[in-house]
Amino acid sequence: MSAYIQGRNVNLTFRPPNRRPVRALQNFDIDVNEGEFLSIVGPSGCGKSTFLNVLLGLAKPDSGDIMLGGKRIEGPGTDRAMVFQEFGLLPWRTVQSNVELGLELKGVATETRREVSQRLIEMVGLVGFETHYPHELSGGMKQRVGLARALATDPDVLLMDEPFAALDAQTRDLMQVELLRIWQEAKKTVLFVTHQIDEAIYLSDRVMVMTKRPGQAKKIFAIDLPRPRDYEMRVTREFNDLKLEIWNELKDEITSR
Amino acid sequence: MTDDAAPHISFATRHRKVLLGGFSVAIFFIAWQATFLFVPFNPLFISKPNLILDSFVEMLFSGDLLHDLAVSGVPFLYGFTAAVVVGVSVGVVMGWRVRVGYALDPLMTVFYASPLVALAPLVIVFFGVGVSGKAIIIFLLSVFPFIFNTAAGVRAIDRLLINVVRSMGGTEKDLYLKVIVPGVLPYIVAGARIAVGRGLIGILVGEFFAASEGIGYAIARFGDLFALDKMFACILAIMIIAVVLTEGIRWAERAAFPWRIGQ
Repeated sequence: MSAYIQGRNVNLTFRPPNRRPVRALQNFDIDVNEGEFLSIVGPSGCGKSTFLNVLLGLAKPDSGDIMLGGKRIEGPGTDRAMVFQEFGLLPWRTVQSNVELGLELKGVATETRREVSQRLIEMVGLVGFETHYPHELSGGMKQRVGLARALATDPDVLLMDEPFAALDAQTRDLMQVELLRIWQEAKKTVLFVTHQIDEAIYLSDRVMVMTKRPGQAKKIFAIDLPRPRDYEMRVTREFNDLKLEIWNELKDEITSR
Repeated sequence: MTDDAAPHISFATRHRKVLLGGFSVAIFFIAWQATFLFVPFNPLFISKPNLILDSFVEMLFSGDLLHDLAVSGVPFLYGFTAAVVVGVSVGVVMGWRVRVGYALDPLMTVFYASPLVALAPLVIVFFGVGVSGKAIIIFLLSVFPFIFNTAAGVRAIDRLLINVVRSMGGTEKDLYLKVIVPGVLPYIVAGARIAVGRGLIGILVGEFFAASEGIGYAIARFGDLFALDKMFACILAIMIIAVVLTEGIRWAERAAFPWRIGQ
């Protein structure tokens, strides 16, 4: 029985012109179950974002297999969608139009697009801002748009590349709560890349720690904390024990340069 | 955002930008007019706003002014249109292809920075005093703002947005229509604002050198004839056109690209 998302021996080396090649991923293995929330933490530049781009179909590995639901990933597809750290909203489109982008590219009819975008705008709490442009929104609101846009094409897998890193601490806490609610409602498989151990534990079923570059899976922690999780859970003993364990694993990778 | 916390703003405060701007224009003309209360007036050397206005109205209704403007407008339209087409195409390639950009940037900068009007006599010699000669001068002067602005616009396109559209299954055509064109368009329009001013210089200079009609020719001829109120009336006409064109573009910019406000 193979996992829903399965990566085996994935290797990827960047070869920028006039620069040294950089090995981003080396023999990277990963298994993700359907409907699972898996976070990946690792030192800066360890290849975690690269792996999300491979899953998304924007980057091609030099070797190795990545399967999704039994099918090899060959390029972008509407079964996956990414939420980007820097939001990636088109500045000339309103909130509604940004949310509808993926549907528009798929050729979905206007009325259907309207229905879907309206439902998602409600879900992420942006009712009343449909005709606003991105520059009129706060960071947290922009990322709500990013999330709604990713969900609009109803993907099976949601890829999140440090989605809350550009937000202030309070907005981030709020967005984490919202994300859990939406995840439970929408029932997606989520791969969540972050630098924050707290965030990873709070959100995830499992947390993967990666080695420094070239990135490999170092250790996977199962987070057996009960759901639904509340904010207060972060000060419990179990939470902090896990945090320390993960930190110890990560520490060596960050300090041994 | 709704603006319900600002009920008692006076008319003067609300329109202070227009009022203050209009005020300084009015002061300028009043001061000009008033100068001749103290300084002896010699119509061979200078004119006064009231005489200029009289001539302006007279020439407007006689049809002379409109005729000259129409004559000059044709090469302007040709030259400017060619500048848009060529400038935008060259700019897109220079912005998109790094090596083309490296290769052409210094040369284009030389042309853009140097006073190309100096070439006007040569262009007249090659292409004559008709529409083509003038159109080429206008083209030469107004093409470079389009080249540089378009190239800058293409370079400024956020790679992330390209990745966003690609990751959602967008084709090359989608990239152009949904990212590149909307991203570059405001830069092109901003270039047009600069190009208009340069193009108007082109038309005047072209007609100063050699022409038998047209607004530039009219200015030069009235100057030679010491009909200074008529000369200034023609200059006033050009000024009005320049202001209308640049402000019109600015207005169109705000209407067409509401997302640029606040950027």
